[in-house]
Amino acid sequence: MKRRALVFSLAAFGCAPARPRLNVFNWSSYVAPETVGDFAAEFGVRVRYSVYESNEEMLARVFSGNSGWDVVFPTHYIVPPMVEQGLLAPLDHARLPNLQNLDPAFARPGLLTHAVPYMWNATGILFNRKLQPRPTAWADLWDPRFTGKITMLDDPAEVLAAALRKLGYSLNASDPAELRAAQREALRQKPILRAYLNSEVRDQVVAGDVLAAQLWSTTAQQAIDAAPDLDFVYPREGFPVNLDCAVILRESPRQALAHDWINYLLRPRVSARVADSMRTATANLAAKRILPPATRDNPTLYPPPDVMARAEWFATLSSSAQRLRDRLWTEIKSG
Amino acid sequence: MNRLRALFLLPAWAFTLLLFLGPLLIIVAYSLRTKGVYGGVGPPWTLENYVRLFDPLYGVILLRSFLMAAVSTLGCLALAFPLAYYIARSGRRKTLLLNLVMLPFWTSFLVRTYAWMFLLRDTGLINSALLAAGLITEPLPLLYNDGAVIVGLIYGYLPFAVLPLYSNLERLDKSLLEAAADLGARPWQTLLHIVLPLTAPGLRAASVLVFIPCLGAYLTPDLLGGGKSMMIGNLVQNQFTSARDWPFGSALSLALMAIVMLLLWTLLRRDGGEML
Repeated sequence: MKRRALVFSLAAFGCAPARPRLNVFNWSSYVAPETVGDFAAEFGVRVRYSVYESNEEMLARVFSGNSGWDVVFPTHYIVPPMVEQGLLAPLDHARLPNLQNLDPAFARPGLLTHAVPYMWNATGILFNRKLQPRPTAWADLWDPRFTGKITMLDDPAEVLAAALRKLGYSLNASDPAELRAAQREALRQKPILRAYLNSEVRDQVVAGDVLAAQLWSTTAQQAIDAAPDLDFVYPREGFPVNLDCAVILRESPRQALAHDWINYLLRPRVSARVADSMRTATANLAAKRILPPATRDNPTLYPPPDVMARAEWFATLSSSAQRLRDRLWTEIKSG
Repeated sequence: MNRLRALFLLPAWAFTLLLFLGPLLIIVAYSLRTKGVYGGVGPPWTLENYVRLFDPLYGVILLRSFLMAAVSTLGCLALAFPLAYYIARSGRRKTLLLNLVMLPFWTSFLVRTYAWMFLLRDTGLINSALLAAGLITEPLPLLYNDGAVIVGLIYGYLPFAVLPLYSNLERLDKSLLEAAADLGARPWQTLLHIVLPLTAPGLRAASVLVFIPCLGAYLTPDLLGGGKSMMIGNLVQNQFTSARDWPFGSALSLALMAIVMLLLWTLLRRDGGEML
C-alpha cells in the first residue's frame, strides 16, 4: 500500500519531465485564447508561452543563443540578419505539409527556408470621417489646418517611410541625400503634430482627441470596431508592409515538436481563429477563405490587389544606413 | 567577533559585487565594442562610442535634460517645503500624513503616469470640467508638451523631496523660532535667517534625490511629452531599441553616470558627512 502511494507520488512528479515542453515567445495578442491549450492537449505536451512588444525585445533575449525559447516570431526584415547570425534552424518542409495553405503573395524569395509567414499588417492613416476632404495621401498629414490633431508613429522607420514615399523615394532609401530630404519633411511636419504615438493613439482617435493618425492596419481596425465614425486609408504614394513570421531557433533541442507547432498554426481553422479573434490579418490563404465574409472583404485588414500594388516591403538595412537614420531621427526628436 | 561581523556583511557584499558591480562592468565592456547588425555587440574593441559623445547634438539633449530636471527639482522643493513644514508641526497626525505622502508608491509609476494622461488629454477630466463650466470653448493643449512632462516629473518625485525635508524640519528646535520672535524677528525674517539655513542640508538632500532620477527619466517624457522632445533617458533607451546600438547606449549611460557622480561629489565635499 505504502509502496503504491510512493509510486503514485513519483508518477506525479515524474510525469512533468516525461511530457516535453515547447517554449514559444510571440508578440502580444497574437493567438486566440484556445490556440495554445488545444495544441498542448492534442500533442500531449506542455507549452511555455510568453509575449513581447517589439522585435528588439525578442532579439535581446535570443541573441545569447541559449535563451530557452524554441519558436519566436520576428518581422520579415529581421529574418535575414538572424540567419546570418546563425540563430535560426533551417526548416524541414517535409514536416510542414500545411505550408501549401500559405498565400503565395507572402512566400517571399529566400524567406521560406527559415521562416513561415504568420500574420501581417501594413501602415496607413486612421482618420475621423469628420475630416473633410478625406485624407488619401501621406501629404495630407502635413496639412496645417489640423494642427494638434495629427499623430505619427513613434518609430523612425515608419516616419521616414511616410516622408520618403511622399517625396517619391523608396521607403528603404539609404542614400544620404534622400534621407536628408525626408528628414526636412519630418521636421517641417513636427510643429503641426500632436505627438509621436504608437498603439496608445487608438483610444485617442476613438475619443476624438486625434483626427488622423499614422497607424498599423490591425491596430486601426480595432479602433474602427470601437468607433464606426472612423475609417482607414492606404496612402496613394505607397505604404510599408510588415510580415511577422514563425521561426525555429537553432539552439532548440525540440526541432520536431517546433515543426509540429508551426504546422499546427498553418491549419486553416487555427489560423482563421487567431486572425478573427485578434483582428489581425493572416498570411494563410486557406484560413482567409473560411473567415466570415465581412472580415475577409474588410479593406483595412485585407486591402484589394490594386491597393496592395502600392505596398513596399521593409528591407533589411545596412549598419551605416541604420546609424544615419538613427542620427536623423534623434535630430528630428530634439529639433 | 570580527569573523561574525564579516559573516553578516557577506550577503551585502556579495549582492553589491555580483548584482551591482557585475552589470556595471558589462556596460563598460559593451561601451568599448562595436554595434552588432541588429542589436548586440561584436568585435573589434573601439573608443569610437566615446568620441561620438562629443557631438553637439547630444550636448543639446543633455542640456535640455538638465533644464527640465532643474525646473522639476525647483518645483518639487517649492511644493515639498511647506508640506514638510506642515507635517512636522502636525503632532499626532504626523504618521498618517507621512503615509499619505508615500501612498502613491503602492501603485506602479506607469499606471500613475497613465492616470495623468487621462487628466490632461483633450477629452480628459480637466478639460471636460473647464468646458462644462464654460471657462473655455476649446480644450487646452495640456498634454504632450514640456509643461506636461514637468508636471509629471514633479508629481512622480515629490515624495523624495518631502521625506528628507520632513526629517530635517522635525528636528528643528522650536525654541530657536521662539527666541527669534522674542527678539523681534518677523515671520519671514525667521524663515530666511533661521529656518532656511538650518534646513539647508535637507534641501540639498532633497534636491539630489529629485534631480538625479529626473535627469534620467524616460517614461514621463515619453508618455506625457508624446515623444516630441527627447531627454537623455529617451536617447539611451532609443539606442537599445530602434537604433539597435548597444555600445553607444552604454557609453551614453556611463557618461550620464559620470556627470551625476561629479555633481554628487562636489555637493558631498561641501557638506561633509552631514548630508544624507
